Amino acid sequence: MPMLRKNTRRAALALSLLASTAGFAAAEDFVLGLATGQTGGLAAYDQPSLAGLKLAIDEINARGGLGGKYPVKLEIKDTRSDTAAAVQAAQELVDQGVNAIITPCDADPSIAAGQITQGAEIPTFTFCGSTPTITSAVGDFMFGTYPADNAQALVLAEFAAKKGYKSAYVLKSADSAYTLKLPEYFATAFEAAGGKVLEQSTYTMGQQDFGAEVTKIKGLNPQPDVIMTAAYEPDFPAFIKQLRAAGVTAPVLGSDGIDTPTTLSLGSVADGLVHTTAGFAVPGSSLEAFNAKYKQATGKEPDTVYIANGYEIGLILDAAAKVAASPRGRDLRDAIANLENVEGVTGPITYKGTAGMPVRSISLVEVKGGARSLVEAVVPEAAKVPAP
Amino acid sequence: MAEAAPLKGEKPEIGRQAAAGEGLAAPRSLERARTFRDAAALAALVLAGAGLVYFLLPGGPRIATMFLIYLTAVLSLSIYSGNSGITSFGHAAFLGLGAYVSAILTMQPAVQASALPHLPEFLKGWALTYWPALVAVIGAGVVVGLVTGAPLSRLNGGAAAISTLALLIIVHVILVGARDFTRGSQTFYGVPRLTTPVVVAVVAIAAVFVARWFRDSATGVKLRATRDNEVAAEALGIKASRVRYGGWILSVVVGMAAGSLYGHFLGAFSPKDFYFSFTYLLVAMLIVGGFFSVTGAVVGTALIFAVVQILRQAEGQSSFLGLFPLPPLFGLTEVGLGLALMLTIWRRPLGLAGLSELSLPWGASRLAPARTRSVAPAAAPGTAGDRLEISGLSCRFGGLKAVDDVSFSVRPGEILGLIGPNGAGKTTLVNLICGQIAGQAGAVVLNGKTVSGLHPAARADAGLARTFQNIRLFERMTVLENITAAALLRTGSLGAAREKAIALASEFNLLDIADRIAGTLPYGSRRRLEIARALATEPKYLLLDEPAAGMNPAETEALTEEIKAIRDRYGLGLIVIEHDIPLIMRVSDRIVVINRGAKIAEGDPATVRNDPAVIEAYIGSRNSH
Repeated sequence: MPMLRKNTRRAALALSLLASTAGFAAAEDFVLGLATGQTGGLAAYDQPSLAGLKLAIDEINARGGLGGKYPVKLEIKDTRSDTAAAVQAAQELVDQGVNAIITPCDADPSIAAGQITQGAEIPTFTFCGSTPTITSAVGDFMFGTYPADNAQALVLAEFAAKKGYKSAYVLKSADSAYTLKLPEYFATAFEAAGGKVLEQSTYTMGQQDFGAEVTKIKGLNPQPDVIMTAAYEPDFPAFIKQLRAAGVTAPVLGSDGIDTPTTLSLGSVADGLVHTTAGFAVPGSSLEAFNAKYKQATGKEPDTVYIANGYEIGLILDAAAKVAASPRGRDLRDAIANLENVEGVTGPITYKGTAGMPVRSISLVEVKGGARSLVEAVVPEAAKVPAP
Repeated sequence: MAEAAPLKGEKPEIGRQAAAGEGLAAPRSLERARTFRDAAALAALVLAGAGLVYFLLPGGPRIATMFLIYLTAVLSLSIYSGNSGITSFGHAAFLGLGAYVSAILTMQPAVQASALPHLPEFLKGWALTYWPALVAVIGAGVVVGLVTGAPLSRLNGGAAAISTLALLIIVHVILVGARDFTRGSQTFYGVPRLTTPVVVAVVAIAAVFVARWFRDSATGVKLRATRDNEVAAEALGIKASRVRYGGWILSVVVGMAAGSLYGHFLGAFSPKDFYFSFTYLLVAMLIVGGFFSVTGAVVGTALIFAVVQILRQAEGQSSFLGLFPLPPLFGLTEVGLGLALMLTIWRRPLGLAGLSELSLPWGASRLAPARTRSVAPAAAPGTAGDRLEISGLSCRFGGLKAVDDVSFSVRPGEILGLIGPNGAGKTTLVNLICGQIAGQAGAVVLNGKTVSGLHPAARADAGLARTFQNIRLFERMTVLENITAAALLRTGSLGAAREKAIALASEFNLLDIADRIAGTLPYGSRRRLEIARALATEPKYLLLDEPAAGMNPAETEALTEEIKAIRDRYGLGLIVIEHDIPLIMRVSDRIVVINRGAKIAEGDPATVRNDPAVIEAYIGSRNSH
């Protein structure tokens, strides 16, 4: 039966292939498991995040490991931006007994995977998921790193109030949590700061024609002092072009979704636009220094702030490992949850007193003449951040 | 065709055989047992495969669970798409509906209060276990299937496929919009993880049985007939929209059950998890395995799933089997999936499993008992006034009068020849009589009942059957299934229909090839099969559209005898449309000649042959015989 033997051999090969990945690290290693979307829709966020994290881990290992004690071994699994694959990958990492886990830049896979790691008591970070419910839905082993949507919204609302804007028009889309909830958090915070939301209307992502919304804004009497949206490409460019073409001059506030080169290429219609970002490299800042270091290490321009954010996860783990009684489980979680003012490349990062989404600086930038300039970098007050 | 000759001699036996009955019962239950046994074999294979993975692979329980979830989903797609031939792009959304319904009903009240604060009272705090929730999901599936299927079942082909795509988008928008129930586009969390190995195995195995049973059920056979040739199916009395509706509802129910498994496996999801990329995965699995069979759904799911699982292990490897170092190479799985799909479409368009189901070799002799038996003509002896009356039929295509005020009639037991030069309007006339096209004027009255204006299927029900000039078989079904699909018009019981089909196959010398796929038959067998299939509807009048086309003189001679035998045996009225004048002259009792859409002569063969108008029409057409 040569056929049977051939098949048996093939099966054995497949089994050994599967088994060999389940290898265990040496006892003193800190195994950091990643179940992130290196391909598919989330790759645009998870790839640069991973690049930044790798740079941090290389530096940390050169110093002897996390906290100088625990050399880090990365166990990287691609989820193909699929939630089921993220669940599978997270469970595999739990089975391997990793010390900490990183999940994709999205709420679905982060919460689905987090519910597993929470049960296994493994501290878990979302790469750059910014939905505040990620941590509230999962529990005390789940941490965010990127500025949360509601924190960004608060910064924008307080900026608007400070500028003296009394009334706002809010444009949102129910098609994603980001485009829906961030403007809603803004509306809550803006009214808490004494402003008035004249109207909230919705668009469909990808609709391109904003004629109806622009007409509605133009018809408002009195005109709103400010227009706020979390729309991003390709919706935001279409919206602002049509808005300005219709002669509406009210200033526009946006969120970090438009922190891309496209926004700068819009020309004069984008002049005066203010939006949030997780970090803005002004001369002499540590972000600028990081960007230079990254370019030197990889030969590539750091084209997005997600790289710095990924790098900061390494710094957070390093700081936690220094004080943790042991590099795993509750000890590690407690250490992370009590971190205060960890010196990140975008500013200080604090977990103490939060529900897992850190308090950290958020930058406001203004677009003018095809370039961005820093308006201010703000650390939002935890108590004022709208509830998720 | 020589076997057709002894037909007449069998006549006296027929009544006795049918009355005895015992010959019918045995193979009928045998047939049902065979479907059940083949389904059990397929289910056993699935369980064995999943079991091996479960116990032998690292992370096996999860891999086996995911496989069985995907399998249930692909089976739900297969129930509708495989049998109707219409690719559904909407199933991912129905899986989503199932996931949400089951999740809401099983959530712990405390989680529900924080995740879904605005949930209506009647949905709050059920906290059911999986099985009662599944019952609710199935109930919801029936409702969703009824509502969405009502418009969808009226469409076929590309229009239906595009409509399923529209359904995907509509359901997605509803899920995003129903924020009080679904949290909209935000992650729906706190879903209990109830998809245990036992739960998933029970549901998946049930799905295998349901899909396999449906394929061979009366509705399934009819649905496949409409898939292969809707015009022929309707001419044989099958209401395409009705059987599509049935298949769709069952498919949605199984899909929503699969969705509940998926939701309880994920634990957290949002509508985008049930959208285009999931649709792509499900359709790819079905296409790779074999669109047209349940076995194909199983094979495709297993293969694609194995490819994904092996490649995802390979891409994370830091070395190739420990031999030399490799950088992590992400994206291998997606490339592998795309390649598998393209290779299948290129090399095996019908998928790996092709058209046939996994079937066990034993029991192949099941057709033997039927060999000695024949069918009884069900037609009651005609009463004196019975006739198929065609009066004043007219049909215009733009300015062209294709059929112009044609009237004639045919009696039971009579063979009426219908001749005319090329383009005279013969086939249009048949289409008008049987309802494939609608005319502008005139009536078709069958034994006193006006059938013009009725759906072709209703005309078949009234007793009209036909064959087609360009043979229209159910190409991807077996010979026996072809006849069975037609026989179902007169009997609700699949077993009885198969019995009749076996008898007809025997009578038309098709029994030896009864399990062959019709598309693979030689020409002569195709003609015979089409006639046998038409007779399975127990017609009172049968229209044969150019039955001798493409036959050599010897075959034509045999056909002449066969046509007469059919008339003698079944006592039905025959209308034979032919070019072959010698054939028509020999076989017909009476002949109607049409030219340029109008009747130019009618009478017995000798009269018509000498009619100056007929001679002129034929000589004038340069197509003289």
